[in-house]
Amino acid sequence: MKHCKETKELAAFLYGELKDDERKRLESHLEVCPQCRKEIEELRQIVNEADSLNSDIEEALTSVDWEMLPSKISENVFKKETPLSRGSQTGKFWGLLFQPRFRPVYTALLLGILLGSLATFVVFRNSGLKGTSEERFFVSGDFLERLELEMARRETLDYLEKSQYLLLDFVQSSPEKSAELWQSNFASTRARDLLVKKRYIDLQLDRFQMAKAKKICDQIELLFFELAQITKELPVEEVKKIQNLIEEKQILLKINLVKKELQESEV
Amino acid sequence: MKPREVFEDDNIYVLVEKIKNGDREAFSTITRLYQKKVFLLAFSFFRNREDAMDIVQETFLRFYEKVNMFRKGKNFQNWILQIAKNLCIDYYRKNCKKNNNYQRIKNFEEMSCPSYSQKDLNSSSDLKLIFYRCIDGLSEKQRMVFLMKHYNQLEYKEIAQILSIALGTAKSLHFKALQNLKVLMSPYMGRQT
Repeated sequence: MKHCKETKELAAFLYGELKDDERKRLESHLEVCPQCRKEIEELRQIVNEADSLNSDIEEALTSVDWEMLPSKISENVFKKETPLSRGSQTGKFWGLLFQPRFRPVYTALLLGILLGSLATFVVFRNSGLKGTSEERFFVSGDFLERLELEMARRETLDYLEKSQYLLLDFVQSSPEKSAELWQSNFASTRARDLLVKKRYIDLQLDRFQMAKAKKICDQIELLFFELAQITKELPVEEVKKIQNLIEEKQILLKINLVKKELQESEV
Repeated sequence: MKPREVFEDDNIYVLVEKIKNGDREAFSTITRLYQKKVFLLAFSFFRNREDAMDIVQETFLRFYEKVNMFRKGKNFQNWILQIAKNLCIDYYRKNCKKNNNYQRIKNFEEMSCPSYSQKDLNSSSDLKLIFYRCIDGLSEKQRMVFLMKHYNQLEYKEIAQILSIALGTAKSLHFKALQNLKVLMSPYMGRQT
């Protein structure tokens, strides 16, 4: 069904909401358009039907005492005057505070707070990271390597020195006294400590490729194992033989040399 | 016409200012001036005197609570009718919609039933009842525009302001409301003739 563009104006026409020129134009259109005439008749019927409810409205309107109602409503409203007036005071305060003309100010304030927070966050986050990174990576890997090397050197020196004293005692005493000394608690405890220490410095020596020190340390370890087996029953010859071996192999001299070398290569 | 309107508006602003300071008499005067308009809107919406009276009371109570929000330059009548309209919709959604939906569908079915006698339908009270149901069958906005236009006799620009819609939308909603009423009423109008 074809609709004229004037159809949409029919409701406004029926309710007298068209301007004079619009109304005249529509009236002229209605004279020539049967479809719009039919439509407006049907709509007019609806409007008339709606008017039939007017009697109900009139009846309801007359049933109310309009003179008394305002005072009744006022009474109800002002009964709660105290909380209301307090509320209205608060309302007045908020009303003044949030006047539309202050909107740009509040917007600017809000924007400022947001930007400030953002800037603070960015600045503190960066400086915070910087601080932790400095603390965390203060010691470089290279320095740690050197530190460990130095510790290995000192441990080895210590081991060599203690071993040297022990071996000197052993070598410089008579075979009988040496056997006795070796069986004493003092010597055996020292030797055991040194054997344990050797296990630790072995790792360090391998790691830092200190071959010369490793060799002499291995020899000392072997000697300690030999000496650990000394018992009272061991013939004096056997003890003498070990003493000779130490002298022959110039172990004490070698220890001195390695010690000197290690001391010179101090980090 | 125009100077009189301005004068009336000025009077309203004076009264509103007095109410802001707790003037009970000014409140009663405003209530006296607008109570019928509010009642008309609420009664056409609910077609029930008691509900309409509740809305009138609640509207003026709400007005008193919000009086500080009213600014010079606003149209007072539109503002108070906006409060009333919002209360009507809230009240309807809370109390009527759920209860009436089933009832309305049921009644429509009953009304279009062929067993309904010609004589019954011809009686004006039944046709009125059918028309009520047809109004209920409109969408919320179409119904509100139609009621405001027909029973409150408001202009399109006033309706647009109260419903916070464009003038063109108010016009268009009114036209659609009439057309839909025509469609819904057509079976009964045909029988009547």
